[in-house]
Amino acid sequence: MPELKVKGVTIIETFAEAFPMVATRVVITAPTLEWALISARTMTGFATSVIACGAEAGIERTLSRKETPDGRPGVAVLLFTMDAGKIQTQLRNRVGQCVLTSPGSACYAGLEGEKKLKLGASLRFFGDGWQVSKVIGGRRYWRIPVMGGEFVCEDTTGLTKKAVGGGNLLVLGKSHAAVLAACSRAVKAMSEMPDVITPFPGGIVRSGSKVGSQYKGQIASTNDAYCPSLKGAVKSDLPLDIEAVLEIVIDGLSADAISDAMYAGIHAIARGGAREGVTHITAGNYGGNLGPHHFHLKEIVG
Amino acid sequence: MSALTFELKDTPDQRLDLSPLVPAVLAGLSRKEIEALTINTTRTKLTVGDAFKIKGKDAERLHFVGTDDRCDKIGAALAGGEILVDGDAGMLLGTKMKRGKIAVTGSASVLMGASMSGGEISVRRNVGDQAGGVAVGETMGMKGGFISIGGDAGALLGERLRRGIIVVGGKAGDYAGARMIAGTLVLKHGAGRCAGYGNRRGSLIFLEKPRNILPTYSDCGVMEFDYLRLLDKWLREQGVRIRFGARARRLMGDMAVLGKGEMLILA
Repeated sequence: MPELKVKGVTIIETFAEAFPMVATRVVITAPTLEWALISARTMTGFATSVIACGAEAGIERTLSRKETPDGRPGVAVLLFTMDAGKIQTQLRNRVGQCVLTSPGSACYAGLEGEKKLKLGASLRFFGDGWQVSKVIGGRRYWRIPVMGGEFVCEDTTGLTKKAVGGGNLLVLGKSHAAVLAACSRAVKAMSEMPDVITPFPGGIVRSGSKVGSQYKGQIASTNDAYCPSLKGAVKSDLPLDIEAVLEIVIDGLSADAISDAMYAGIHAIARGGAREGVTHITAGNYGGNLGPHHFHLKEIVG
Repeated sequence: MSALTFELKDTPDQRLDLSPLVPAVLAGLSRKEIEALTINTTRTKLTVGDAFKIKGKDAERLHFVGTDDRCDKIGAALAGGEILVDGDAGMLLGTKMKRGKIAVTGSASVLMGASMSGGEISVRRNVGDQAGGVAVGETMGMKGGFISIGGDAGALLGERLRRGIIVVGGKAGDYAGARMIAGTLVLKHGAGRCAGYGNRRGSLIFLEKPRNILPTYSDCGVMEFDYLRLLDKWLREQGVRIRFGARARRLMGDMAVLGKGEMLILA
């Protein structure tokens, strides 16, 4: 079978294995885009992986004044968890501690969704009886008096159960610098795609994991098959000339959104061509038995 | 399909009860059956055919032409569809309506939108007393929806309002928002005496500084309200010509009752 190559970068014939997740979107506005971003970054901080963060979250995109309900600059944030009970707690805690507290912020629903999640409906109690409910155009908003003025927060936001988490790309190269540059390009390209986030630092994971470990209680441990320093010691998946492997993890509101983002990512990685030092693009899976969503790289590139 | 049109033939010699002329009743009726509907309010029988010339077919879009202030209960209990009134409307226009849209090019009389729970009414000119107020037999005024009045409103605008938004392009009469439970009044050119009398949780938004403020409202000073930005943007999306920014003086009241209502006076 001929090898699939894009600009000299080998696309391994494999698939990314992804899982169903539940997700929501909220819109945060503020007096300036800078403050909306500060609020959104705080809310999506420590949300790289459900393994220990409770949620995966990220900034989907910035919104112009025309796109927000109150005509101020805004940011759309996506939040993912494994089940509907957890997302409610995460949403309440994150908006309550990071958005409510952020100067000049307001928080609105960003998704219609099949079901509703409480937003202002639970945060309103911060108002201690002075909160005011206002219905505008069939949507309920809470005005909660705070020291900085009033925190306006929509009553509910939507929940989707069709979200997918864990779409991924593994990028192999002959130098750390080359792989990092290529992955940065890919994250930038994906950040322009709708309905997806890349939850890890700067969108990139440098420590992909495998399930389990030799230690009791350690549920995930280093993916030794992809560690360049162990090539000679373990059953490695890496050719000898690989110096670094970085991963991009993608969470999306739908499987299609992930596959579109992967397409954009692969082409952004390959834009520099093999000359830059990126040699392979592959993906992480668990043999296909764990996650129902399989994103075949060959189909995506095709 | 063209809108089902009712053109008033002559000035009627009695008030007309036009509550049967709503899409839910008219759907599926033939021209003859529609003409046979009775609309008299005295002992003298009067049918739709006697009073109106009918044209068009689409019962989801009704068009009244040449109506005057004796044409009562247009769009009463409306549950969907659109009604355009080219002329004036009598009392109880759109009372207890749930959904749909009513637009009047002229004026409307008393109890317009009384106890309505949803939908939208716009009146280009003036409305009588108790617009968005309490319909007979009800305990609450308007419970939802949107009323836009181009001209002046009479007394007791939004009396016992529970939910919903009323915008007045002109001046409102005395006791605007009296005994309001909640909801919102937006008053472009102020109101008469005793605005917000007995207001529990409602908002009265004044674009101009009102001349009389009840002594039972306490001043909370001026600040910026994101809520006003939200409302301002939504109103403009509804085609209301308004722009009021976010800075306002807040007065809380009516302290003679619950006192959680407010006047927001644009600064």
